[in-house]
Amino acid sequence: MATDTDSQQLDGFGRVSRTAGVAFRYLILAATLFGIVMLGALLVYVTAQAIQPFTADPGWHLTFFLTLVLPTAAVGRYIYRRNPAALGFGATAVGALLVSLMFAGGAAMVFIDILSPMTWFAYVLALAVSAVAVVGFERLDERLPFVARLVASGAVVALAFYFIPSILLSLPIAIIGWIIILLTLGGGVAALVALRVARGHGRRRGAFAGVAAFLGVGVIALVGPFAGIDPLPAAVLAAISFVPTASYAALTAVERPEKRVGLAFTGTVLGGAFLGAAVVDVLSFAGPDSWVDWGFFTNAHSGTAADAGLYPAIGGSILLMVAVAALSFPLGVGAAVYLEEYAPDNRFTRFIDVNISNLAGVPSVVYGILGLGVFVTYLGRPMGTVLVGGATLALLILPIVIISSREAIRSVPEETRQASYGMGATRWQTVKNVVLPRAFPGIMTGTILSLGRAIGETAPLIMIGAPNVVYDLPSEFTSSVSAMPLQVYAWASLFASEEFYQQAVPAGVVVLLVVLLSMNSVAIVLRNRYEG
Amino acid sequence: MSTDDIHDDLTQRTENAPVELLTRSFFFLCAVLSVVTTLSIVVLLTTEAAKFFSITAPLMNVEGATASVVDFLTGTTWIINNQQFGVLSLVSATLLITLGAAVVALPLGVATAIYLSEYATERARSVLKPALEVLAGVPTVVYGFFALVYLTPVLELVFPSIGTFNILSASIIVGIMIIPMVASISEDAMSAVPESLRQAGYGMGATKFDVSTGIVVPASLSGIFSSFILALSRAIGETMAVTIAAGAQANFLNPIGVGTVFGVPIPYPDLSVYLEGALPMTAAMVQLRTGDVTGGGLAYRSIFAIGLLLFLITLVMNIISDIVAQRYREEY
Repeated sequence: MATDTDSQQLDGFGRVSRTAGVAFRYLILAATLFGIVMLGALLVYVTAQAIQPFTADPGWHLTFFLTLVLPTAAVGRYIYRRNPAALGFGATAVGALLVSLMFAGGAAMVFIDILSPMTWFAYVLALAVSAVAVVGFERLDERLPFVARLVASGAVVALAFYFIPSILLSLPIAIIGWIIILLTLGGGVAALVALRVARGHGRRRGAFAGVAAFLGVGVIALVGPFAGIDPLPAAVLAAISFVPTASYAALTAVERPEKRVGLAFTGTVLGGAFLGAAVVDVLSFAGPDSWVDWGFFTNAHSGTAADAGLYPAIGGSILLMVAVAALSFPLGVGAAVYLEEYAPDNRFTRFIDVNISNLAGVPSVVYGILGLGVFVTYLGRPMGTVLVGGATLALLILPIVIISSREAIRSVPEETRQASYGMGATRWQTVKNVVLPRAFPGIMTGTILSLGRAIGETAPLIMIGAPNVVYDLPSEFTSSVSAMPLQVYAWASLFASEEFYQQAVPAGVVVLLVVLLSMNSVAIVLRNRYEG
Repeated sequence: MSTDDIHDDLTQRTENAPVELLTRSFFFLCAVLSVVTTLSIVVLLTTEAAKFFSITAPLMNVEGATASVVDFLTGTTWIINNQQFGVLSLVSATLLITLGAAVVALPLGVATAIYLSEYATERARSVLKPALEVLAGVPTVVYGFFALVYLTPVLELVFPSIGTFNILSASIIVGIMIIPMVASISEDAMSAVPESLRQAGYGMGATKFDVSTGIVVPASLSGIFSSFILALSRAIGETMAVTIAAGAQANFLNPIGVGTVFGVPIPYPDLSVYLEGALPMTAAMVQLRTGDVTGGGLAYRSIFAIGLLLFLITLVMNIISDIVAQRYREEY
């Protein structure tokens, strides 16, 4: 734009070449797309390697094209024209069903192989007893001083967790597994549904919906065997996946009639999938010879890539995730609450602040040797256990949890706090009743995203000595653990061969990515829902 | 309820009521845990590294712990089984990979940030930003596999002499991995540039291109630089991708070739080192935990010595990035 002489300035005045601008625009667009497209291509390629779509009969592809793809496209287009939001609802219902099915599968696996339903029942009972006791003591608010209430609650909780499981498990009774699941998970889901319905539609309908949800879980558990699923996993699937998804769909359909048409989309997808499966079965078209098959989910590692599976690694990842969430969530949120609500603006607070942002930049492998040095060498814990791995990963994601929780807490409007203080509430009452409930969705989003990061981490687990090959599921928090990314690493580097590169590793990568993407999508859906 | 009861109720819950004290101290302890973490990292790494240096000194026929530190930092051979601990061969691999990643990620990241902050429509942003988040969320072990099994064969078509393990593929993949970091931090800095500056530019007759490159980028330069440093620090600490793709053999890579022109030695950058495999610092740490490394306590302690070096490098970079972002920020 700068020009040398006046005459040039006059000649060029008002005329600007658009070439540079247009070229720049497309250049930076291309740069933006470069990474995304390259990763997308790699993901498509690795998925094709894992699923092997071209090994299927052409008839198989044709059948599903006719029953699933074509109707879905047609119905989706129709609904989108009438009401885009309705299509969003229908698609969310399908997505919620798929994602919850995945998590329910993981939970079913835990109940079948890691945690016996009876043990689970004992701990749920202990938890229920302590919850009732704590609430009961809280009711005595006026009559007992706080310290007495605290001590009494603590004593009941300790006694409940110490005695109830040991007594219950030593009794010569055993309740059938699926009934326990029905009572615990089914009861919990029913209570949630009842509360939600009661809030909008009155108590009677709430109770009715709760009973219906409870019965739904029971019926599915009983019907399960006819579809080839044992009652126990059927009950878990019903309680974690089918009933919540159905409740979500039904509630939205009742409360937002204009979105109701979206259910047609859900129906088309599910109906098309089932119809296609039935037709393929009848006409005996072979499906793709995928490496991500049932055996891949249920086998342990094997020397031949085709037989190698991810089962112990999936179980390990689930337990690690439980440990990481249990450790990092309270600590991270606690630190965030301190820094946002309590901390005075002094040098120490600023030091903590800088320290947390620096911790977020420490390489994960350094956290790994921190775990190795502190937990294994100094505290003498055995190497590579769920507990050590979980604690190490929790330390790793703690800064991220703190930072995202602080953001969520900061976004709670200041007026709500002032209103609470104005009513005479103390700081803790304000935090408990005003700040945390408001910030909760944001905190959950941040925590789920950081859990996703923890699940994908390999280096810290290697450093704390997690074994490369584990044949059994970890049965408790002190047994040694593998994890999905660790197993993928072992296949990609220690068992490096063409066979593993083409079969087991792509399959492992696809499973790992599906888990991560569904966690991220849950977080993003949460964020969009509560931000808007 | 009598007036006395109300008075009791009001005074009971003061700042120093037991429940307030208890919750406040719990939250405080949570916050202090981060300081404890940092302290234990520092103490653990320094004590274990000190033990390492005090053991290696006699082995290397040098006296005193300091001398072995010098040998550690300046040696170019890393053979644990021979008890040769020259970390430069590891550092050279790490730095070359970081340099390569920078060549890929910095221009692409800044271009992405400019596009997202200045050009993209709301709709394009709503697609591109989650896509970039996915890019950042893919586990590094997956990136490593992609580099080794998919990227290296493609590179082999261009450079037939490339090794199975090479730092070129590692550089490219690490570069792609850190694009989102550069892009998101730079974009934040660009979005913070006030609209009035842009409007002033348009009012002077500037085009969108002029405003973007002449006003927004200079105004957000401190944020862009701090994103560079943070992303490179991440690249240095990156572990699994380089472990899988870069190789397992320690190899001192000297990127400075010396050619002679009319008998005068002229140094030039020798990029052919990118086709070789090498062992970056993080990969060496992983190898020490998984491979068949003899050396017992020494091998174990050498992990902490490398870890200390890695921690110090990344810490210094993070602090510099912080200072750049704080001190050179244009206040509007």
